[in-house]
Amino acid sequence: MSLERTMNRRSALRQALLGGAVLAGIGRSVRGQEIPKVLPPGLNLPRVMLVSMGGTIASKATSRMNLNNYGGPGNRVAPQDWVDALPELALVARVTPDDQRAPEDVAGRSAGGMTTAHIRKVTARVQELVNDPTVDGVVVTHGTNTMAETAWFMNLAVNTRKPIVFVGSQRPWSGLSGDGPLNLFNAVRVAATPSAEGMGVLHVMNQNINAARDVMKMSAYRVEAFRSPDLGILGVVDPDRVVFHTAPLRRHTHASEFHLAGLPEALPAVEILYGYTDAPGYLLDAMVSNGAKGVVIDGTGAGALAGGQSEAVKRAQEKGVIVVATTRTRSGRVQDTPRRRESSIVPGDNFQPEKARMLLQMALAKGADLNGVRRVFEQY
Amino acid sequence: MIQRWLGTVCATVLMGLTGPGSPAQAAESLPGVVVFTTGGTIQSKGAHRQKLSEYSDGRVTPLELLADLPELSEIARVEVREVSNLGSGNMTTELQLKLAKGINEALSRPDVAGAVVTHGTGTLEETAYFLHLVVRSEKPVVVVGAMRPWSAISRDGPLNLYNAVRTAVTPEAVGKGVFVLLDDTIHSARWVTKGNTTRVETFVSREIGPLGYADADKVVFYRTPLTRHTAKSEFDVSTLTNLPPVDVVYGYQEASAEPLKALVTAGAAGIVLADGSPAVTQALLGAVSKGVAVVQSDRKGSGRVLLSERQAGRGVVTADSLNAQKARILLRVALTKTKEPRELQRIFNEY
Repeated sequence: MSLERTMNRRSALRQALLGGAVLAGIGRSVRGQEIPKVLPPGLNLPRVMLVSMGGTIASKATSRMNLNNYGGPGNRVAPQDWVDALPELALVARVTPDDQRAPEDVAGRSAGGMTTAHIRKVTARVQELVNDPTVDGVVVTHGTNTMAETAWFMNLAVNTRKPIVFVGSQRPWSGLSGDGPLNLFNAVRVAATPSAEGMGVLHVMNQNINAARDVMKMSAYRVEAFRSPDLGILGVVDPDRVVFHTAPLRRHTHASEFHLAGLPEALPAVEILYGYTDAPGYLLDAMVSNGAKGVVIDGTGAGALAGGQSEAVKRAQEKGVIVVATTRTRSGRVQDTPRRRESSIVPGDNFQPEKARMLLQMALAKGADLNGVRRVFEQY
Repeated sequence: MIQRWLGTVCATVLMGLTGPGSPAQAAESLPGVVVFTTGGTIQSKGAHRQKLSEYSDGRVTPLELLADLPELSEIARVEVREVSNLGSGNMTTELQLKLAKGINEALSRPDVAGAVVTHGTGTLEETAYFLHLVVRSEKPVVVVGAMRPWSAISRDGPLNLYNAVRTAVTPEAVGKGVFVLLDDTIHSARWVTKGNTTRVETFVSREIGPLGYADADKVVFYRTPLTRHTAKSEFDVSTLTNLPPVDVVYGYQEASAEPLKALVTAGAAGIVLADGSPAVTQALLGAVSKGVAVVQSDRKGSGRVLLSERQAGRGVVTADSLNAQKARILLRVALTKTKEPRELQRIFNEY
């Protein structure tokens, strides 16, 4: 049998496995450790790396009713603990844990959240993992508050077609009706699914597959917190099948021009300014005097400036600062209107401002001028 | 046969040659769009501008529709073909087949870039999904309607129609199947459904969301559909004059089996269940044993009906994320090819 035919056969078997056979095995086996009968003996299951960046999913508490005050010293969950608690993972993939938590996270003393330095470190590690020909996909756990930003960073910075799936939970690993175990199981299923290849960095929670570009946390505590408000999900992780309904069209991962290896050590500073009635101009002045090379203004309505912002934008632009407009409505595009073009403000499309910030940082790091930034916001 | 019905259409106009602000030379180089009109609210008139319901006081002809939008001549050479001028409740299989054949004929012309279909909104998603399955072209087809009559204050029809023509001539729209476009939003015919009785944002694709937007600055696509459609479809209606009869049985508490039994007696080729009840479940076994194709859909409006060993064992096909009215369309088209439940299930998994 030719190599190509062997690979096709393997791919078909993986698809059959992930596309329906799995549920039957789980349904019948309480412990879930049996490989379903339909699988031929000796089949190599996909290899999925389980990268922990921590998060609520990596947190526990002494009471299972503790749903909002968990974590801290002694209350962290190591990635091997997830694998031990989920023997069902062995049905869908060969899972290898890879602990990439910051030391202070492991110690339960994490304060101030994720840093760019740590995101870059883990991005480099993920690139290393996907470069390994024995790895089929990568799952990354992350705290939910900023996971969409880190996922978006990797969507731009990792060069691969292999699935990279971000996952977290809204309830701690120890919580009553914790959503973490099913989210993790489903994330591994997606990372092991051939149809997830080439889709960019994905986000899987609550049985939905969202694109890193569009997904955002829209509820503080509910398990359905993650949505793509302007565009909707790419697919679903149902008990019977992993289904992709649509594919994203904007540039990402393998088609990105912002791979980590080509980025400078430090990205240019870009800050976010919120729009509201009587918003003063001096906040923007302060950003510029503190070294901001770009500013994202999360404006009102269709991306409008408010109060003293218009004059402050002119002052900032005189100093070479690039200004991008997003909209605080969280749905709808900021359009490329003649007036906005005259004002040299780049329309931020339908980006959330925190993602427009990262994209602007990367574009500026690559030396983009106003037109270059404009092109980037049209293509990504 | 196609030529004959096309010969009876009421009007063909070349808007590009007469529109204001558009030189004749430029008009000739504009892409061609054929607008097929079937009727609906977008072609309805009320006695007063404030009449937003029960507005059946007159019909807008295709010529009136286009004469009211001279701006179209700046973006396309528009031809119009009248298929019907009816509300969507009066759409028929015969008209849908006529429409599909007419679109296939038009899109085979090299000078035509895309097609637009006006339609009443009530059953618009059914005709759009039918076209998604049987149009044999990569060229865009945009189905459009309105929530307010052509005569009303703040009518939405003109901008919807303008955006539909714009989208039909957008190169990025090629190969993405049939679209439904109202309220600046471009939905795939596969997932779109009417979700509100009266509001202009009525068309939604639930959790899957739209493919893109027709904004004032440009037409933008963010997503492409992955299910099979149009040029990659296996279905061909070019020689068909009718489709197998398939009806829908709704499920609710203590739903009786009598409607299902009556459909079997009446000769249904297929039945789509929008949810069920114990009595219906019992009766469907009898239907399957008589060779009737049974598809399990759901009344909730979003989410998939999962593949199920239990249902497969009964010979019942699951509808994936198709609502009952769309599962009916796919089943009718699929039954032109096969009655075998496993093959029907493959079709429901792929389309």
